[in-house]
Amino acid sequence: MRDVAVIGGGMTVFGKFPERTPESLGREAILSAIKDAGIRARDVGFASCGTAYGGWCVGQRMLKEVGVSNIEVLNVENACATGASAFREAWLRVATGQCDIAIAGGVESMTTSPVAGRLIPPPPDDVDGQLGLTVPMFFALMMRRHMHEYGTTPEQFALVSAKNHDNGCLNPYSQYQKRLTVEEILRSRMVCDPITLLQCCPNSDGAAAAVLCAGEISGRYTSTPMLVAASVLGSGDYLHRWEDATFSDMSHKAAIAAYEMAGIGPRDLDVVELHDAFTVAEIMHYEDLGLCEKGEGGHFIDSGGPWLDGAITVNPSGGLLSKGHPLAATGVAQVVEVWRQLRGAAGKSQVKGARTALTHVLGGYVSGLESGAVSVHIFKV
Amino acid sequence: MTSDTVPFREGLFLEEKGDVCLTGNRCRGCGQIYFPARSLCFNCFDEDLESIGFGREGTLYSYTVSHMPSTRFAAPYYAGWVDVSEGIRVFAPLVAEEGVQLKVGLRMGLIIDELWREGERRVVGYKYRPL
Repeated sequence: MRDVAVIGGGMTVFGKFPERTPESLGREAILSAIKDAGIRARDVGFASCGTAYGGWCVGQRMLKEVGVSNIEVLNVENACATGASAFREAWLRVATGQCDIAIAGGVESMTTSPVAGRLIPPPPDDVDGQLGLTVPMFFALMMRRHMHEYGTTPEQFALVSAKNHDNGCLNPYSQYQKRLTVEEILRSRMVCDPITLLQCCPNSDGAAAAVLCAGEISGRYTSTPMLVAASVLGSGDYLHRWEDATFSDMSHKAAIAAYEMAGIGPRDLDVVELHDAFTVAEIMHYEDLGLCEKGEGGHFIDSGGPWLDGAITVNPSGGLLSKGHPLAATGVAQVVEVWRQLRGAAGKSQVKGARTALTHVLGGYVSGLESGAVSVHIFKV
Repeated sequence: MTSDTVPFREGLFLEEKGDVCLTGNRCRGCGQIYFPARSLCFNCFDEDLESIGFGREGTLYSYTVSHMPSTRFAAPYYAGWVDVSEGIRVFAPLVAEEGVQLKVGLRMGLIIDELWREGERRVVGYKYRPL
């Protein structure tokens, strides 16, 4: 395996764009990534792209809009981990020498999808789904248990949403550009007790793309190539082996593997973009990614650790809670965010001196498993 | 069960002679309980599983009340995870009883009750309520 670097990234603003097609969103993101990298369309040797609801051959449909055709294109699906899975596939192709330059892309138009305006439904054969289990309910059960085990308070969970909305105000690509107080968040409509509306990520439309390049030639395109130091993709274990529902075993396992591959530990990280689909998810992932001790997630947010000026900044982009969550675009958008951060191009949300970053996504409700897929990547400049 | 009462799904629970239990199976090799029943033990890759009735009582691991409707349930509705005495965690609707505050650690008992109606038919399933 050889070194692989990210040399370009691009994304659309996330939001609600019912008039835009996946092709239109994808074109904007990929064109922006190609221009950012300074490559030509004919330099691209491979592309992997993904969508959860956008239909067949989404990669070819987006790439043909920017002059990329007649190459190997692989379309992937791994629910909320789709974008990260596409990125990992592009990394593998370059790392194993099958091509020098590859594109990874993800796109979602939730407002034109079959699930527009409602909860993502459970699979029809799912007993728990028949009995009323929904995605927010699953997270509410984890949140209640976290409060019971560790004394984590509603205010600490709400503070995650306040932080991410603060960060979203500094990111022009964020769906929401509005500061929220802890009180407003707690007073918003109750969805699944104790989760209130402003502790849930929205449904969003958007696309993101990254350009990957063999490390040895990356200097031709940029003076700040971002090395892919670790790439891990995992899947969930059976629920009967998941005893502690306040801790994501599959995220922990993926993170441990990624730290080992990168030769670093969590204390070496400057920036983390993680899967904050609900506030409780961010608190749990502080712990399972090793940013703080188990049970200390509430104290970590209180201590200022994950804020923009904290020890390990978490979700400077605004995260899923503020930036939005177009399912398959999310994993690639996280890479685009850390690409901006690690070369000092993140504008108002810049983390000073950031050199090492981690991205994490988790998703895909699968009956009988902790979750469908998890992916962790680590980057260095 | 009378003819106008149907289970929401076959093979998940039994209600007879005053006894109510969930029905699953257990691997004769490693003792792992499966609910719903499986034809293969995922620990041993063994097909030697025995049918069991279980889950009559348990402890509330976590609970919530949904203020959003779902496919079959009008809001608000209660649900939770119950760690049953035999050692697995079961998701189920919860019966909130007047004067009893749900809390983690509460002892819970299994009942069979109406989940929803389809025309004249009562569709029933399992729920837990505080003991």
